[in-house]
Amino acid sequence: MANVADLLHAVPTDADEPGLAGETRLRELFARLSLRPVPTGTWRRFWRLGGLHAQIGLAYTMHWLRGWFQGAERKQRDLAATRLNAAFRLLETMGYLRGAIMKVGQTLANFPDFLPEEFVATLERLHFLAPPMHFALVREFLHNELGGDPEDVFASFETEAFAAASLGQVHRARLKTGELVAVKVQYPGIARTIRADVRGLVTLLWPLRLSRDWDSVKARIEYIHRTLELETDYRNEARLQERVRSLFREDDGIVVPRVFQEYSTHRVLTMEYLAGRHVHDYLAAGPTQDKRNRFAAKLVRSWYRLFYAARLHHPDFHPGNFIFMDDGRLGLIDFGCVLELEDEDWELMGKSDRPLTTGRRDERLAFLKEWLDLPSDAPEDDRLSLCDRYAEACWKPRTAAGEFDFGDEQEFRRAFDLFIEMLRKRYTRGRPLDAFISRWDFGSRSMLYRLQARVDVRAIAEQEIAATGWDRSDYATLSN
Amino acid sequence: MRVSQQAKASTRKRILDSARVLFVREGFEHATTRHIAREARIAAGTLFNYFPTKEAIAAALVGEALDAAQEDFERRRRRCSLEEDLFAQVAAGLRRLKPFRRFLRPVLQSTPHPAGVADNEAAAIRGEQMERVRRLLAEHGIEPESPLTLQLYWTLYVGVLGFWTADRSPKQEDTLALLDQSLAMFAAWLRETARPESQRSHN
Repeated sequence: MANVADLLHAVPTDADEPGLAGETRLRELFARLSLRPVPTGTWRRFWRLGGLHAQIGLAYTMHWLRGWFQGAERKQRDLAATRLNAAFRLLETMGYLRGAIMKVGQTLANFPDFLPEEFVATLERLHFLAPPMHFALVREFLHNELGGDPEDVFASFETEAFAAASLGQVHRARLKTGELVAVKVQYPGIARTIRADVRGLVTLLWPLRLSRDWDSVKARIEYIHRTLELETDYRNEARLQERVRSLFREDDGIVVPRVFQEYSTHRVLTMEYLAGRHVHDYLAAGPTQDKRNRFAAKLVRSWYRLFYAARLHHPDFHPGNFIFMDDGRLGLIDFGCVLELEDEDWELMGKSDRPLTTGRRDERLAFLKEWLDLPSDAPEDDRLSLCDRYAEACWKPRTAAGEFDFGDEQEFRRAFDLFIEMLRKRYTRGRPLDAFISRWDFGSRSMLYRLQARVDVRAIAEQEIAATGWDRSDYATLSN
Repeated sequence: MRVSQQAKASTRKRILDSARVLFVREGFEHATTRHIAREARIAAGTLFNYFPTKEAIAAALVGEALDAAQEDFERRRRRCSLEEDLFAQVAAGLRRLKPFRRFLRPVLQSTPHPAGVADNEAAAIRGEQMERVRRLLAEHGIEPESPLTLQLYWTLYVGVLGFWTADRSPKQEDTLALLDQSLAMFAAWLRETARPESQRSHN
């Protein structure tokens, strides 16, 4: 997949803006946004989305018409241009609406199987454009939420945020009882408007409606809608955080910050502050292979612990969600995206354990047929074959005996390339949970690749499964 | 008999205290000037020597709240951007006005246009607020070229207050977002107009 910089260099220009390079255009677009009025009501937002839908529809129609008299190669180029122009319009509207729709944009950027790659690459920009809150706004919001000014509620409160959160920002503070805390503050009003904005999302993705996978895409949007609603509720996140915290013991070397409920609401989350570095700064200090391996093993163990001990799936292996502490402990923060698996998903995911353990292709194919909702006697067509190769690549760290080298670039690229091939062939139909699994696959592989780590994933998985007392005696000895 | 300035001030204060209680307890619509006079233990006719209408009483209460808010704002003030300063000033007002939120709308209606004719109390509020903003802008190095700047601010300010009086979002959080974004827009516009014509954006 091309990166944003490549796309910006390749971006076509509109006839009315001759000579403007993509980067300039994007910069000017954001300069213009600051001068615009902000729509506040649902109807105005929806009207705006409706206008956008018409613009994107028009762009696609123009492409279709031009396609009648253009050669194949040119047509491909033109499709990319059309999509990129549409992506700019999407970005402009999302930036304009800011707040809630931005969250949707960020979420979509994490689900590349929804959208043409130009959309995804453009949407990725939104990760860096969350609206910051100045202290006066933070103070008023906290006054409303906690019943007093931050200067009065806390012993001290840093006026500058030290970290951005997708729906707000995080400030360091000290409680009057002495504890150093991180206070996550949500941008006002953002949670309620998400509901209205996601409703417009199906309309927004109208150009994809003719795809054979449209029903599947719609189902996934509904799934995302439900999870987004939970993610915006910090009370829910606090509950999950406390649940996850209870899963780890001191000797795991994995720490989850304590939540201070009396300083938390649906929109404010106050937790113990964990001192440490994110992966970028950690790697800049040049840690040894052994130290990197140990952190990587903790990353892997954290996911398996949540999954097997609590039926939780943590899809958001974003670098900002992990703290590399100086004493060697790994800090886990941000549980807004953690999914509590429903019975059906849990049972089906549990069935993957058999092919994961044995590593046998026939068992992997049988599992994939069930996952893809195909009859058990379905022939192995191109789609199933490709899904199998993709699953094999994704599962390799788990099926491999001994340490798996996550720094192997060829292995890293293989899963990625297969995923792109699936996208290109539009084999995107699947379960709503797929998007969250892909997000974890790529998020975790990227983190471990950056660490250039070697981890015995299989041994960790076996330990975590054994701790649950799950009886796998009928196949656990079949492993290759 | 001449009424001393002290007695006048005392009566005025009694009227406002009574009105504050009645407006909150009975609602602005149901609290009449007769009720207010009775609560303040004065004759109904006397009340009109101080305030010509019920709206003028409400405006005076709003004016008092905004004076107190300005003191709050000055006390808490810190070095910050123009946007933040403007936000903090309006937000301080919203806090002080909170008990009167339900009857703020009639006061706003009595000041329909920056250049319009309004009663003395409402006009005084507008004049004082615009002067406060002018001083704040000056402290950020912005001297408005024309009265239009302050009138634009006043329109925006009244719009936010009007939105706030009808805001049904939890703890009126939508007003905070609207205020934040509106003032960011206003500040961006101010900076743009403060630049020489040759350097302005023409998008």
